[in-house]
Amino acid sequence: MTTPTLTDRYVDATLRRLPERQRADIERELRASIEDAVEARVDGGEDPADAERAVLTGLGDPARLAAGYSDRPLHLIGPALYLPYTRLLIALIAIVVPIVATVVGVVQAFDGAGIGEIIGDVIGAAITTAVNVAFWTTLLFAVLERLPDVRVPVLREWTLDQLPEPPSRRRRYADLIAETVALALFAAFVLVSPVLRIKTDAAGDPIGILSPWLWDTGVVYGFVFLALAGLSFNYVKMYTRWSAPVAVAGAAVNLAAAVVMVWVAASNHLLNPAFVTAADWRADVWEWVRLGVIIVAAMSIVQIVVELVRGFTTRSWVQADLGTTIREAVDRIPGVRR
Amino acid sequence: MYDDELRGMHLQELRRGTVVLACLIILKEPNYGYALLDHLERSGFAVDANTLYPLLRRLEKQGLLISDWNTDEARPRKFYRTSDAGTALADALTHDWDDLHSAFRTLRGES
Repeated sequence: MTTPTLTDRYVDATLRRLPERQRADIERELRASIEDAVEARVDGGEDPADAERAVLTGLGDPARLAAGYSDRPLHLIGPALYLPYTRLLIALIAIVVPIVATVVGVVQAFDGAGIGEIIGDVIGAAITTAVNVAFWTTLLFAVLERLPDVRVPVLREWTLDQLPEPPSRRRRYADLIAETVALALFAAFVLVSPVLRIKTDAAGDPIGILSPWLWDTGVVYGFVFLALAGLSFNYVKMYTRWSAPVAVAGAAVNLAAAVVMVWVAASNHLLNPAFVTAADWRADVWEWVRLGVIIVAAMSIVQIVVELVRGFTTRSWVQADLGTTIREAVDRIPGVRR
Repeated sequence: MYDDELRGMHLQELRRGTVVLACLIILKEPNYGYALLDHLERSGFAVDANTLYPLLRRLEKQGLLISDWNTDEARPRKFYRTSDAGTALADALTHDWDDLHSAFRTLRGES
């Protein structure tokens, strides 16, 4: 048995990466070409071993040569699919990750987990989901890239209709005013609730509807402050162009307010037990209020994240409502037409 | 001024596709891989072996080249020659090249 030459090893390394039916023909031709090149060098006075090394080195990585023979792309996702790929990836992450994180957070809150555990689990779930979405989307497009026949219907011709709509200033202004009035009423109600005489105790003093714990710890002032800060950011957005720091700071303030709300509701510090007793509410009213507050807060978390992500992709202030967001995400899925 | 790397990149960009035309023209006379590589190099169309060999098969698959194994000599070689479709394409590409050449002359104000 003879030891394989460098040429044998090189040819084997190339053929291994080619379909069976191409191998025999390519091997014959490749060997002849290598021998021709070596012979030319030897005729020029080179040592045969050196000539073989030089020729094989010149041919380069066998994997690259094999990719050339079989027309395989040497990239994961090429220019034709890159934009649909990034668009779908961003849309999926912006929608799926907040939903999963919110569901995990709410479920954990109802299981009576501590705030630290909830935050840890939410972050863990968000990262796992994002990694999974990214992996499977990338895999899908890498496969599409390698199926040239499937590529055509996947791509939609870009048209002017796909330009982002300019935001209607008048509508945004109306929204802002409504938001301001609602927040003012809400803050006023929260702050005066301890002195509202809805129910009174034996001594005739009013019983606050909200838990005194909120005042004792100062959480209520923190929450009202966050809500006002969030509203100020909305005014800033109305009068300034989009910028990343304002977008992130605004989202952070709104997120903080929503998280405080979830935390207060989940840890049973929302309603005043004395008020519930005095009003003679059924025990499950307490649970329903809690659930309602958590769901509202969770939805606003989803909306804040969606607005933030869409703001980054369009580099403009966007008012995300869930319906439009989902519709647009579906539109971005390649091949889907409404 | 520009650096050599940038110059190399733009030259490569400009020359992309000229190797195909050169092959189609040279292979009007049947020839085999290594001899073609050598011929291209001597004619000023430097191309790497690992680019040329797959390119020949691709052109054959596109019907622009026809191949035959020549086993008359000690070393069997695959000979390629330009097909009728290949000749037609070579004519079209040559025509386009000439148009570009005169377009550049006009741009430089030499016409």
